[in-house]
Amino acid sequence: MASLFHAPMPSTGPGYSFSAQPTAASAPRQHAGFYPYTDNGGSTLGISGATFTILAGDTRSTSGYNINTRHAPKLFKIGGEGPDNLNARIVLSVVGFAADGNALKERLDTVVKMYRYQHGKEISVHACAQRLSHILYGKRFFPYYVTAILGGLDEEGKGALYSYDPVGSYEREQCRAAGAASSLIMPFLDNQVNLKNQYDPMSGQGLEKVQRVPEPLPKETVEEIVRDAFTSAVERHIEVGDGLQMMVITKEGIEETFSPLKED
Amino acid sequence: MFIARSEYDRGINTFSPEGRLFQVEYSLEAIKLGSTAIGVATSHGVILGVEKRITSSLLETSSVEKIVEIDRHIGCAMSGLQADARSMVEHARVTSQSHEFHYNERLGVESCTQAICDLALRFGEGAEGEESIMSRPFGVALLIAGFDEQGPSLYHAEPSGTFYRYDAKAIGSGSEGAQAELQNEFHKSLSLGEAEVMVLKTLKQVMEEKLDSKNVQLASVTKEKGFRIYGDEEMAGVVGRLEGN
Repeated sequence: MASLFHAPMPSTGPGYSFSAQPTAASAPRQHAGFYPYTDNGGSTLGISGATFTILAGDTRSTSGYNINTRHAPKLFKIGGEGPDNLNARIVLSVVGFAADGNALKERLDTVVKMYRYQHGKEISVHACAQRLSHILYGKRFFPYYVTAILGGLDEEGKGALYSYDPVGSYEREQCRAAGAASSLIMPFLDNQVNLKNQYDPMSGQGLEKVQRVPEPLPKETVEEIVRDAFTSAVERHIEVGDGLQMMVITKEGIEETFSPLKED
Repeated sequence: MFIARSEYDRGINTFSPEGRLFQVEYSLEAIKLGSTAIGVATSHGVILGVEKRITSSLLETSSVEKIVEIDRHIGCAMSGLQADARSMVEHARVTSQSHEFHYNERLGVESCTQAICDLALRFGEGAEGEESIMSRPFGVALLIAGFDEQGPSLYHAEPSGTFYRYDAKAIGSGSEGAQAELQNEFHKSLSLGEAEVMVLKTLKQVMEEKLDSKNVQLASVTKEKGFRIYGDEEMAGVVGRLEGN
């Protein structure tokens, strides 16, 4: 199978693609021509609010300069019933190598369903987050090549968002961008969600300046931020585009929407 | 009757024509030889109490361990073959730690009981390619007390692998009399202190020796303190509250 793409990536600069192709400078390869990973591009982001969590991802799947499909969802409902994942309360987003992302999703989904059978209750996002970390770390030396973000509501009904690296380091956060355009989106979220580098205009000059204090944002504002983040990323990154998949998790359930992004 | 039965006593997981597994039934008999253990669940927590049979005045009473900790929030009392309980408790402890490691939350009391009961039927020849770990059923019953997000609960686990949840339960040699006593005395609004006295009072009725603070042991599981075995002073205090002691 020609799953390899040998052309250089659009940019080898930091942040444009999280997996650089192996170069001649690296250690001698043990299996000539076997490189089991592909970067399928795309970006995801998640923001948690007081009573909701929003996850979003574009639906483009790429291999280098090629587009595999314009509709490859990166967000998955976890632990629901039947093919449509009814009554799910947890969403996993994966970006990076799509095949690993799918395998990871299938595994976590199975684990969450088994948890329900074994313990007779729904898994909490907090427990699911810890489990996902161990699933990732379990493949420490042949990792799932993905950046995962897990979203849901915690035991108090507050938005919960957990972000991961490919080998399972994780943290609960207010917001996180991942994937190809993460270096474009994350600073925007820092500024708009956590109000970084925003100062109270009345507070004075220099050392007198007072940082604005972030507060949980209303759902409508967050949806707007998500949309703006992606339309901007599409402008500047060739691996991002085609469609925007969004999932809003509230106590009523998960609302999933698809909307168009530029296809250029 | 006895001769006919003995033919089916050999194969450890062979049904008799009447549909019985004699070795499992005999293992239930082994429990009836054990010392009495009692558990009472209140809305504030669970009390476990056991009788220690002090067979010799030279015996160091603190070495008789019939109540053990499984995790910070789960403990159990046993009756029957003590040694068998060790492997069950070990399994429960590993399961509980493994659950906390994987899920960053405490194992539920029912899940813990289920994990113990999953062990109970792993005796006999073992299936193809599967290693058998035990040659016979366990000869011990457990009272598993714990506190989880659903509040306090008490479970009774048998060698047959079945388990039930109880408000109050007695196992061991004095279990019949003790269970009848619990049936009369138990009510939903018991306080923890009342439950302590009720457990000791019930034990006292079924024990052959005279009850004192050395030949019984109490433990509690509460939300605040988790599982806790009572120390010498605390035991003396509760025994002191018992009428006629």
